Amino acid sequence: MLNAENITVRYGEKTVLDQVSFSVDSGEWWMVAGPNGAGKSTLLSAVTRGVPCAGRITLLGRDVSSYRPEELARQVGMLEQNHAAGYAFTVEEVVALGRYAHRTGFLRRGDAEGEDKVRQALALTGLQELARRSVLTLSGGEMQRVFLAQVLAQDPRLLLLDEPANHLDLIYQKQLFSLIGDWLKTPGRAVISVVHDLALARRYGTHALLLRQGKTVSDGRTAEVFTPQNLQTAYGMDVFAWMQGLYAAWQQ
Amino acid sequence: MIRKLVTLLLCAAMLGGCLPAALAESVDFTDMMNRPIHLDGPVDRIVALTAADCEILYALGAGDKLVGRGEYCDYPAEVLDKPVVKSGAETNLEEVLALNPQVVLMGTMAQTAEQVEALENAGVKVIVSDAQNLAGVYDAIAMIGTVTGKNNEADGLILKMQETFANIAAQAEKTGKTVYFEVSPLQWGLWAAGKGTFMDELAEICGLENAFADVQGWGAVSAESVLERDPDFIVTTSMYWGEGPTPVEEILSRDGWGVLKAVKNGAVFNADSNAITRPGPRLMEAVQALYEFISAPAALEPAA
Amino acid sequence: MKKQDGFPWYGWIAGLAAVLLTMLLCVCSGSAQLAAGETLSVIARAIGGLPVEDGLYKSIILSIRLPRVLSAALSGAALALCGGAMQGLLRNPLADGSTLGVSSGGALGAALAIVLGISIPGLPLAASTGMAMLFSFGSLVMILSLAYAMDRSLATSTIILIGVIFSMLASSLLSLLITFSGEKLRSITFWTMGSLSGRNYTHVLILLGGLAVFGTVLVSQGREMNAFAVGEENARHVGVPVRRVKLRVMIAASALIGMCVSVGGSIGFVGLIVPHMVRLVTGPNHRRMLPVTMFAGAVFLMLTDLLARTVLSPIELPIGVVTSMIGAVVFVSIFYHSRKGGKSAC
Repeated sequence: MLNAENITVRYGEKTVLDQVSFSVDSGEWWMVAGPNGAGKSTLLSAVTRGVPCAGRITLLGRDVSSYRPEELARQVGMLEQNHAAGYAFTVEEVVALGRYAHRTGFLRRGDAEGEDKVRQALALTGLQELARRSVLTLSGGEMQRVFLAQVLAQDPRLLLLDEPANHLDLIYQKQLFSLIGDWLKTPGRAVISVVHDLALARRYGTHALLLRQGKTVSDGRTAEVFTPQNLQTAYGMDVFAWMQGLYAAWQQ
Repeated sequence: MIRKLVTLLLCAAMLGGCLPAALAESVDFTDMMNRPIHLDGPVDRIVALTAADCEILYALGAGDKLVGRGEYCDYPAEVLDKPVVKSGAETNLEEVLALNPQVVLMGTMAQTAEQVEALENAGVKVIVSDAQNLAGVYDAIAMIGTVTGKNNEADGLILKMQETFANIAAQAEKTGKTVYFEVSPLQWGLWAAGKGTFMDELAEICGLENAFADVQGWGAVSAESVLERDPDFIVTTSMYWGEGPTPVEEILSRDGWGVLKAVKNGAVFNADSNAITRPGPRLMEAVQALYEFISAPAALEPAA
Repeated sequence: MKKQDGFPWYGWIAGLAAVLLTMLLCVCSGSAQLAAGETLSVIARAIGGLPVEDGLYKSIILSIRLPRVLSAALSGAALALCGGAMQGLLRNPLADGSTLGVSSGGALGAALAIVLGISIPGLPLAASTGMAMLFSFGSLVMILSLAYAMDRSLATSTIILIGVIFSMLASSLLSLLITFSGEKLRSITFWTMGSLSGRNYTHVLILLGGLAVFGTVLVSQGREMNAFAVGEENARHVGVPVRRVKLRVMIAASALIGMCVSVGGSIGFVGLIVPHMVRLVTGPNHRRMLPVTMFAGAVFLMLTDLLARTVLSPIELPIGVVTSMIGAVVFVSIFYHSRKGGKSAC
């Protein structure tokens, strides 16, 4: 579905991503991991053309740079890390923005299934009760769910998540990950998410991309990527021992 | 205030001793801000910042005593040959002092107390002229006559002005006709001359009533209030820039102004802005021009 | 209710009715005391296309008050709409032609055209209007690029600060121009405070044309502006062509502001006050908010102008004095609440 070859992103003198390549097929859930400054979020921005990059990214066989913004938005949805809405929009209004790219026809009024999609997205994220609330009154976790609902309403084939568990308490983390898992069951869909929590990455990801300072440490199936050696290389510490120590505490 | 005056007097006295005694007779008077002034005698080097004071100096035949002029002084033509200094809010003291005047004549409008003090500390007498009405103009002329030693000429000029005005006033019938003085054109929002302006006084001399006598000083007025008052005469002080319609043509062509008596009768007059606004001897010309205009046959036709 | 997130047809009718009623009130009142009955009959005959008897009433009502009231309505609608649009686009409730310095830039352009004697034969006011539009756009581009360069998030205070500084620069250049041009530009008050005195039907036509073209563009971008108002990055992710929309809105808003400035000088804060008030009623959804803002702006400026020309009759107040006084209060209130509420307004 998505094929990235030799992506290189530079901010001035600084090379943030250096010759990163990977390939995502439908049904796959890619976890992008690595220490801070590894270029994880930049990678997502490159896919949505938020930053100019060298290399070649193709989506469904077409170069992403040939997509018009609406076209791209129908295929790729993105859940950002930080949310700060200006003005007192209602939850429903913000979620409905996800349908922007799907409007067609005269004055872009037509969107037959738009209302259903919005309602479903609100239901899936448990926001029906809050639908008429102003987004300015919401907590960080609620905001995260609002934008998750928005991207679900957007109904893309490729879902990009930038640290989706941020702001969420454990209950919603669990709900979020199983929700994405269910979402992925529909054929022709794929997910790429940036995560810090390697336990979550290991549990839910089918594939992983491990980065360090803009370079690929390893990519492929999660079991093959998250090896003690690779993690040692990426983080410069014995991640395996650390994680095992953490979980050992629970078994006593 | 008193201490300041004493200081000023002391300074003046000390410096006075250094100045060459041009003419023996010393004079004491108060200027138009009621500041006491002492001169050892008529002076020879004057900087005048306001246009009206320049005109008065020349009218008194004392133009040769002028060593510097404010930037807006442009009458009579000879004055243009004199060195120029900035005036008003931009008055530059160094520029003034470089001309080495004995006296600086200035208006009250923009000069600050600090500027006056600085000049006096530098040994230059500051004399303020501040004419708000015709009587004030006579005072200014008499004062400048004293300063320049042209007392007789000043008395003559004042008499001439008084006679001119009296003659016109005697000829003019009080017909109750009204006049509207427009000092800012429609494009930038109308402004009218109201009560307490020179124009108001000139109107009275000509036997006219100011249509905006209920406005104090200058005021932005609405177009519809002009139409409602329907003045018999319109006098504009706008200048013509040599392009587009003249100020008179512009007024005659205004939408909806066709109903006005003044417009129907062609009783719209473009006054010489400088003559009619400066408190100097050319007010005689201004009033004569105005009177001639209102007594012209066209303007005298009764309104329909 | 759920389906109707746009502006319904009856909304347009109601808005238009409110504007027309206000217009009637404003045409019937002024410094000249005219009989209401006679005034109404003149208006009725004029609307009905019947001949109106020449005279004071016809002159005052049809030649002076009506074009002035129409200019006020159209300027008000345009300025309020531009303010609302820019506040959405920049996600900044304090953005407005006057706070960003766009009006000052436009005034400088218009004044420059007058001083240099630029004119297009046969089209009165075309040159100064064109220059005002050009300079407004240039100012907006300059202010925004500078703001972007300093602070990519375009924080409320950064952009307002730059706007204020730019505004001061443009005003001082204007003062310089006025100093050097003698009496040609005459009153600095006109350019800094604005005036609708003496506006005629040519001015009305300019504004009407501008509002028809650029106003339509702005109102049609309600959905996009909603996305921008939530966040520019988010707008990009849902598929809004952000660069194109931004350019479109910036051109339309600055052109419209330029036209208003060339007709009535810089009437400040209209674009700040009206959208703020409207948002309190309609909420921030631009598809409702922008049309309502347009109507409310028309009503607001007509009433403000009425106040300016009647309260000290026969003296007129500069209209900008009235709008700026109200605007300052609203500005402080928005700023206070946005600071106090933390995340609330910006």
